[in-house]
Amino acid sequence: MADIEIHSLMKQFGAFKAVDDVNITVNDGEFVFLLGPSGCGKTTTLRMIAGLEMPSSGRIAIGGRNVTFLRPRYRNVGMVFQDYGLYRHLTVFGNIAYPLEVRRLGRAEIVQKVEAVARTMQITEVLQRKPDQLSAGQLQRVAIARMLVRDADVFLMDEPMSHLDAQLRGQMRAELRHIQKTVGVTTIFVTHDQLEAMTMADRIIVMKDGEMLQFATPREIFERPATEFVATFVGEPQMNILDARIARLEGKIVAMTEHFAVPLDADWVARNRVADLVDQPVRLGIRPEHIAIREMPDADHRIVAELYSFEPTGAENLYVLQCGSVMVTTRSSTTETAHLSKDEGSALAARFDPNWIYLFDPATGRTIAQAAGSDVSREDI
Amino acid sequence: MKQPTYNMESPAAPLVQRNWWVYLVLILVCLVNFVPYLWVVMTGFMDGASASSATPAWFFTPSLEAFHYLIVEKGIMKNFFNSVIVSLASTFFSVTIGMFCAYALARYDFTGRDDVSFWVLTNRMMPPVAVLIPIFVTFQTAGLLDTLAGLVLLYTAMQLPFVVWMLTGYFRDIPRRYEESAMVDGDTWFAAFRKVTLPLMMPSITATSIFVMILSWNEFAFATFLTSTQAKTMPPAIMAYSIGADIRWNVLGAAVVLITAPLILFVLLLQRQLISGLSQGVVRK
Repeated sequence: MADIEIHSLMKQFGAFKAVDDVNITVNDGEFVFLLGPSGCGKTTTLRMIAGLEMPSSGRIAIGGRNVTFLRPRYRNVGMVFQDYGLYRHLTVFGNIAYPLEVRRLGRAEIVQKVEAVARTMQITEVLQRKPDQLSAGQLQRVAIARMLVRDADVFLMDEPMSHLDAQLRGQMRAELRHIQKTVGVTTIFVTHDQLEAMTMADRIIVMKDGEMLQFATPREIFERPATEFVATFVGEPQMNILDARIARLEGKIVAMTEHFAVPLDADWVARNRVADLVDQPVRLGIRPEHIAIREMPDADHRIVAELYSFEPTGAENLYVLQCGSVMVTTRSSTTETAHLSKDEGSALAARFDPNWIYLFDPATGRTIAQAAGSDVSREDI
Repeated sequence: MKQPTYNMESPAAPLVQRNWWVYLVLILVCLVNFVPYLWVVMTGFMDGASASSATPAWFFTPSLEAFHYLIVEKGIMKNFFNSVIVSLASTFFSVTIGMFCAYALARYDFTGRDDVSFWVLTNRMMPPVAVLIPIFVTFQTAGLLDTLAGLVLLYTAMQLPFVVWMLTGYFRDIPRRYEESAMVDGDTWFAAFRKVTLPLMMPSITATSIFVMILSWNEFAFATFLTSTQAKTMPPAIMAYSIGADIRWNVLGAAVVLITAPLILFVLLLQRQLISGLSQGVVRK
């Protein structure tokens, strides 16, 4: 068990910077996720921590020990690979015992340890089988068992669930989180699935193009995204982003989109100095659950739009609205919207909750103003 | 759990009986290939008179006259063991060296890798006869003429491109993950290679070795030119019995039996590995 410190880590392949200036401190026992689209450098970062790739520059320390350029075997990390990396020519027992045999443990001790971990992972019945006789779920369990069997300082997992079907993935999420917390070993998990990261992580590192965009708790990532990319990458369906312009309308500061004005919260405008941005273009962000809809427009629900498509998902309904060239997705509970029309083309009125409006800089993508509702000074957060 | 007793079959599956003509074709192909060889083997067990008789007979009294002549009078077993030594040694060296070359080409990215890889292939494109004279001169200068070491050296060099080419493809099919996973688990690179990659490569290496061994065993042109008495292998030795005005057919037949028998036995013993090795990478999971 150990903490991990990564300092200005950089990896270049030729002229291409795969990982650029990554700084991370992971506490002992923490479950940290590297989240990002494919090719964002998250796997390269993980491989550098494992020692399978050598950094171009920077420093990696595990438990205070500088391991930057050490070979994998001197780092004492356990790893699960995307395609599991199980040996076809060995039985499941042989696979799990492999790291112990490398360490020249006694036969009795090996058997005892493998059987103990097999019980934890519920794979006792398949110990004598070969990997090609196992299902995807079992392979996954064997790979995790092989990681757990050693007393590794750090666990590294490279998209271990990407080959599982959705149902199994849901089960494994809860189980893996439970195991990680029980074993208490510092774990870094690479994924491109925001749901996995949001549900299992203590903290998430969002990466894009080799750069670290944000390192925070899932809640903070979700409610106070550092950039527009983070805001849209996390959450399903993703945050609506509209091109807008800050304007003064009837003495109030509003955000003007191409077809309608969005009223803003006066306190929030003052605190974030939105008035300074008058006449400047911004990107306005709002999550689908923060748009309320009803049949007829009123004082609050002023945005009139046409229903573009209706997507029921069971407990919730997704309404995709079209207003001129602007499209927004809204999400509301089925009971609340039971009376609304579900026919494409019918007119609806919408209201953007001023508490949950984000502003992003169109040039840099950085967040200009976090939503008022996410303010940490508020009591309920 | 008890297996269900009914037979599950897709309605689209062709009935087995419909394929009878496949067997007909197979039998025909086997006959065309096998009958001439059978005839040669039979001739080897005939005595001189029946072998050269104008009316060939299917039934005759077997005789070891020809084998006696070859083994006792001509001492062909010396050539036989020369062949065994040369082909085993050159197979061992070319596969061992080629394995590491192939591994490097498959796994590591280095400047000029593709050029090296292509150059290796071009070595197979050149007809061997084109370099016969230069090699003869080289061997003469180096004192390697008519030595087993010279032949082993030459065959190793000749087979290396083939080995490298075959094994590079097979190594590429083995995911790097296996070695990486072993290295993270605490192994050195070489231990990972030996304990993880090699066992997975074994069928492919066996298949390649069989090919290389057959090629070395049958090599004729260089063996004829570079050996005379001490290091002469089977192919040039047997050649001597097929030229001349009065060919003794039974002796030639016996010689053919001696040169082909080891290969046939060898392939029969290893055919399972040969087939699984050749299909490696073809059948993907």
